[in-house]
Amino acid sequence: MTMRPFEERYAAALADDDVRTGLTAFQRGWRGSRDAAIEALEQQEGRSFDELRAELAAIKDGVLADWSHYLDEFQEKAVAAGAEVTRVATPGEANAHITSVVQAAGADLVVKGKSMVSEEIGLNAHLEANGIVPVETDLGEWILQLAHETPSHLVMPAIHKRKERIAALLGQVLGREYAPDDIPTMVKAARTELRERFLASGVGLSGANALIAEGGSIMLVENEGNNRMSVALPPIHVVTAGIEKLVPTYADAMKQVRLLGRSATAQPITVYTNFVTGPRPGQQQHIVLLDNGRTAMAEDPDVAAALRCIRCGACANVCPPYGVVGGHAFGHVYTGAIGLVNTAFHHGMEAAAGPQSLCVSCGACAQACPVDIPLPVQILEVRRKVAESEVTMPAGRVTAVALGAFANRRLFGFGMRVVGVASTPLRRNGVTAVPRLLADRGPVRTATGWRTPPAVPARPARDTLKPGKLDEPPRLAAQPLAGRTVSLFLQCLSDRLAPQIPIAAAKLLRAAGARVTVPREQHCCGLPAYDSGEHDTARDMVRQTMAVLADADDVVTPASSCLAMLSHDAPHLLRGAVDEVERAQQLAGRTYDLIGYLTQGPGRLPAGSLDDGDRTPVTVHRFCQASNTLGRQDAVERFLRDVAGAPVVPLPEASECCGFGGSTSVRTPEVAEHVLDRKLGCLDRTEASIVITDNPGCILHLRGGVHASGRQVQVLHLAEYLVGRLDGAAVNAERMTP
Amino acid sequence: MTSTATGASGSSVRDRFRAGVEAASSTYLEQPDWAAVVAHVAAGTDVVALAPSLAADEPDLLVALEAAGCGIVIPDQDDPAASVADVAVALVQGELAIAETGSVLVSEHRLGDRVVTMLCRRLVQVVPADRLVDRLEGAADWLAARGGQPGFASLMTGPSRTADIERSLTIGVQGPDEVEVIVLTATTGAPTEGTA
Ligand code: SF4
Repeated sequence: MTMRPFEERYAAALADDDVRTGLTAFQRGWRGSRDAAIEALEQQEGRSFDELRAELAAIKDGVLADWSHYLDEFQEKAVAAGAEVTRVATPGEANAHITSVVQAAGADLVVKGKSMVSEEIGLNAHLEANGIVPVETDLGEWILQLAHETPSHLVMPAIHKRKERIAALLGQVLGREYAPDDIPTMVKAARTELRERFLASGVGLSGANALIAEGGSIMLVENEGNNRMSVALPPIHVVTAGIEKLVPTYADAMKQVRLLGRSATAQPITVYTNFVTGPRPGQQQHIVLLDNGRTAMAEDPDVAAALRCIRCGACANVCPPYGVVGGHAFGHVYTGAIGLVNTAFHHGMEAAAGPQSLCVSCGACAQACPVDIPLPVQILEVRRKVAESEVTMPAGRVTAVALGAFANRRLFGFGMRVVGVASTPLRRNGVTAVPRLLADRGPVRTATGWRTPPAVPARPARDTLKPGKLDEPPRLAAQPLAGRTVSLFLQCLSDRLAPQIPIAAAKLLRAAGARVTVPREQHCCGLPAYDSGEHDTARDMVRQTMAVLADADDVVTPASSCLAMLSHDAPHLLRGAVDEVERAQQLAGRTYDLIGYLTQGPGRLPAGSLDDGDRTPVTVHRFCQASNTLGRQDAVERFLRDVAGAPVVPLPEASECCGFGGSTSVRTPEVAEHVLDRKLGCLDRTEASIVITDNPGCILHLRGGVHASGRQVQVLHLAEYLVGRLDGAAVNAERMTP
Repeated sequence: MTSTATGASGSSVRDRFRAGVEAASSTYLEQPDWAAVVAHVAAGTDVVALAPSLAADEPDLLVALEAAGCGIVIPDQDDPAASVADVAVALVQGELAIAETGSVLVSEHRLGDRVVTMLCRRLVQVVPADRLVDRLEGAADWLAARGGQPGFASLMTGPSRTADIERSLTIGVQGPDEVEVIVLTATTGAPTEGTA
């Protein structure tokens, strides 16, 4: 299948407001019903989602460990039941074989149930080129076929299309008028149009949700009943399935059923779960088992687990950038997070390159995936493969050069000092005032019109934090850190662009009794390089950070993203060397972000100890990776409420990414803009005038957006907010001590 | 077979099956025996399509339906689809009822059996109470016991539906748009292949 280049698909998606509006509504609705369905399942089973998905993941991994055995068993049983089984390596072979089966039957019309594998191999185009008319019979697929489009979602193929457009399309094709709000009439039209095709067609094509080795059966789940009819009625049934669809037993298939419906459409089970074993009397059944890169995936430990995928689409449903551009841009044939991984293997590096930077690394997909695929890590691995290949990602070369300079601590430090001094005239309250003359011009608007860039301060945090330079902060009544030395890891971004954040963190820790040191040689944890697919650079930076912090006891960083990098990604990056992994894990064990240190680490503060009596309501944006990777839920909210006495208004979609997301901001800023918009919209609903979060990247991004949109909301790092309460809290404490 | 009288939650398996059936937008009914089913069906329609396998298993059923004034269409061998295409109501017997999901497992190997459930608008599924199992694993056991024999078995859970247009739920697409599940409380179903 020829697909338009990524840039074109991306531009088209951005230009279509319907995509964004429709998908945002869809994602919100799905989230609520899926969460309720999963909760009900946990109750029913008396086990957590994590336990249930681990069980299904183990079943799928077990198949891969003994793949040829299960393939043989399936084939033997299917053949015994009367099927003909053909294994093919490439889409070309699959298409040729299927076409020959159809031609041998003398059929010129085939009906199709929904099948992503048929999209993967471009079957329809191949059949058409051979004079065969394929008719899609799933409602969504049928609509897309009429519109000459491809699916934008694994489960809801036409989710990008609004009902108005579907009504207009049906009107045009069927020569009748359809009211957009009268969906039942449109559905009826499909029934009428398709009914006779089922009966007239010589061949029915289907995919498979599972291939059950135990009985040689294929499992097909669906809601409409079209798949049953495609399979059951025509005299020939052709199944096309990827070889990763195997499960050993019917009981295993039932475990898949339990998680699939709930993860796909929040249903405990779909309307039809069909088990087809061999052909019916008078029918032929041909089963085509496709490799197309699957063996290569299984052999690559970076991505092998992606073969567990049961194509539920959940990873798209929770993905903020997917909600902005939809599946035609976010992915290739396979859409959503899984598409960013498997496209490289099914359709090549070129096809995989474009969408890579759309991922904000928020980790939401990994939380939702019913087979526990570590999608964010896999996406970064594929991004590395793309970066190492000949193919270029959007803004790829520029990023690589910039990262090269950034990796060099001295060079970067010097450069930032020059920019800091030179930009002094443009600095206004922590943001850069872009000269009016430039602000509305094309590229400047795309980059800054929606998010005022942060100002570069004249002095980095490390200068202010030199010994003896910082005023002594008021002491808290509670001194949990008395006698402890804390090494502050500044985070490169805050050090240079938001020095007040690490400075506030240092003050707070000292107020709680700590001696705070700032190791001088520190630079960057390696996250930006890792995120850009430059893993060698990232590894160097991790090693440098490990060396700098080797002797520190407690390491505290005001940036939760650095903690996620050091605790989760660093051991992964260093996985080749056991001793390095061990040292990385040891460092991770002593490293905290601020909220972790103050709530679970040595710096635990008693209730009320930062209460200065101010009762201005605040709201909390949860840094997405803190929720998804570090497993943190409402720790910041509880801390603010209990320790600082602040009334906290819940933020809708609190854990959703704000859009800063690593390289996305740079490479595809439009996505970052729209994701930010969604976040700001949620902020508006709280009516709070202060939003608190604990990751500097989010803060710079949110501040820029708040400033550019003229909102009157203060965006504060947890440390900044708490330092603001120190004086009052100290006075309060004195008053309360007799 | 993994049939138990009460589940962990204490509610009876039948209660849970009923809740599942209703949650899937089907109608749940209990009737003592086939005679009562016949009366119920005949009261709602004057012609019904019968799955050939059911007609063969329950010959008395044909007599009873006719006696109740209800015409019967059994798909013919030559063109089964055409023969039932215009019959709105169909009657089948389920192999199993699964409490966990409110599903009925219907086995339809022959084309004649298949067209009955696929082409009707209102599908009546009858399951003897002793075929009620607690969990999906009960269906897995049934399938496994068939040992890979050719067949087409479907867990059916509610009327056909779609949400493909703006995620708006619409009942009735290619399959039936009304499903009625009747549990036979006093009768035992004819033993079928695969049931232990
Ligand atoms: S990767 Fe996981 S969440 Fe995404 S479609 Fe596959 S199974 Fe579903």
